[in-house]
Amino acid sequence: MNTKRWVVLGLSCVLLIILGFIFFRGGGGERIKASAGMPPSSQTPEPGPPAETKLITLFLPAEEDSLLHPETREIPASASVAEEAKRVVEELIKGSERGYLSPFPPGTSLRQLFITPEGVAYVDFSRDIVDKHLSGSSAELATVYSVVNSLAFNFRPIKKVFILVEGEEKETLGGHISLSKAFLPLYSLNSE
Amino acid sequence: MTGLNEIKSLKLALFVLLFFSLLAIATSPLEIRGRAAPPAQTGQPAAKGIRAIVIDHGHGGLESGAKGKFGALEKDITLAIALKLKAVIERNLALPVELTRDKDIDVSLENRAAIANNHKADLFISIHTNSSYRRNARGSETFFLSLNATDEEARRLAYLENNSAELSKPLAEDNQDEIRMILWDMAQSAYLKQSQSLAEIVQDELNSLLGTTNRGIKQAPFKVLTGVACPAVLVEVAFISNPEEEKDLVQESFQGNVAEAIYRGLVRYLKIAA
Repeated sequence: MNTKRWVVLGLSCVLLIILGFIFFRGGGGERIKASAGMPPSSQTPEPGPPAETKLITLFLPAEEDSLLHPETREIPASASVAEEAKRVVEELIKGSERGYLSPFPPGTSLRQLFITPEGVAYVDFSRDIVDKHLSGSSAELATVYSVVNSLAFNFRPIKKVFILVEGEEKETLGGHISLSKAFLPLYSLNSE
Repeated sequence: MTGLNEIKSLKLALFVLLFFSLLAIATSPLEIRGRAAPPAQTGQPAAKGIRAIVIDHGHGGLESGAKGKFGALEKDITLAIALKLKAVIERNLALPVELTRDKDIDVSLENRAAIANNHKADLFISIHTNSSYRRNARGSETFFLSLNATDEEARRLAYLENNSAELSKPLAEDNQDEIRMILWDMAQSAYLKQSQSLAEIVQDELNSLLGTTNRGIKQAPFKVLTGVACPAVLVEVAFISNPEEEKDLVQESFQGNVAEAIYRGLVRYLKIAA
C-alpha cells in the first residue's frame, strides 16, 4: 500500500511539473502575466527598465519597382494583438524613414481596429483614404496590400483583413479594387 | 398453344423493334441523341453565336477617376478609346457592341456588370488608365479577376467553373433573389480560364502595337469584373500619373492604336474560341 501511494504521489508530481512547464512557458508571442500559483520571479515585469518593445516589419511601395519593400520598426509591446496591430497601421501611415513611398492619401488616419475570433482584422480608416485617393489599379493595390501584408505578416492570429471607411463598407477606394471581401495577404507583392 | 405462339411472336416483334430503334439512335446525329455536353461546359463560346461584346470604360460623370498632371481625366480618355473600339469592331466584325455608357455620366460598378449580363454579353472589356504612387510607373497591363479566396473557397469555386452550365440555367419563376445575390458574386468565377486566355492575347497585341512597357497580365479583385457572367478583362492602357504617358493618352493616334490592339486581340481570341 505504501509503495503504491508513493508511486501515485511521484507520478502526480511529475505531471504537475510537466503541466507547469506548459502553462508558464507555452503560448505564442503574447506576454502572459503570471498571476496564479507560483510565478517565478523572472516572469513578472520589472518596473525599473524601459517597457518591452516588439520588432515589426512594414511593407511599403518604393520608387524602384512595383513591389512592397520591408522596413523594420520598434513598437511598444502589448498584451493585446489588436493594440499592436493598431500601432503597425499607425506606423504605416506615419510613413517610411528610409525613403519608401506612402500609399495613403494625406490626412488619412486610423479610426479603429478590431480582430474577430476567426482571425479577420477590421481596419477602419478616416474618409480621407477615399476622398483624396489617387484612384487607379496600382495605387489602390498598393494601399490595400501595404496594410494587408503588414498585418498578416506580423501577427499570426490575423488571417484576413477587411477594410472599412468611416465605420462602413465601401465598394472600392478609387473605383477599381473591390473591398467587399476580406483580403488574404499577397506575399508575391513583397520584394522579400 | 396458340396463345403461347402468339406471345412468342409478339416478343420477337418487340425485340426486333427495339433492336432497330437502338441502331437508329446510335447512328443518328447528335441533336437527336441529346447533346454530349452543353456548350458552356466546354468553356468556349461559339463565334457564330456571339450575341454582344460589351465595352466598359472607367468612371464617368462626377467620378472622374484618375487625373493627370496636365489635367487629363481618366474618364474622358477611356470614353474616347471605347468609342473608337466600338467603331472598329462594328466595321470589321459586324458584331453588336454595347457600351456601358456612351456619355459622360455616372454608372455604378454593379450596373456595368448588369448591363453586360442583360445584353447576354459574350465578352466584356473594361478600359482604364492607371495611376500609381510611383512617379516612374509606366506601361500597359491586362487584368482578369482574382477570387481573393482561401484554398477551400477556391476549391468550391473551381467546382462551379467546371460546371458552369449550372449558372446559365434560368432561375425558377418564384422569387429567388437570395440565390441570385449569391450567384452574382460568383458569376465571373465560372469564366476565369477564358478570361485569362483573353487577357494574354489582348496584352500581347498591346505590346506589339503600343510600344509601352509590358507589365504583363495580372489578377486582382476588381469590383467591375465580379458580377460579369462571360469572359472578362480589364485593360490598364498606360499611366495617367506619368506625365510622358499622359501626353500619349490624350493623343487621337495613340487612342486609335489602343482600340486597334484590343480589336486584334478580340479577333484572335474569337478564332481560338470558335
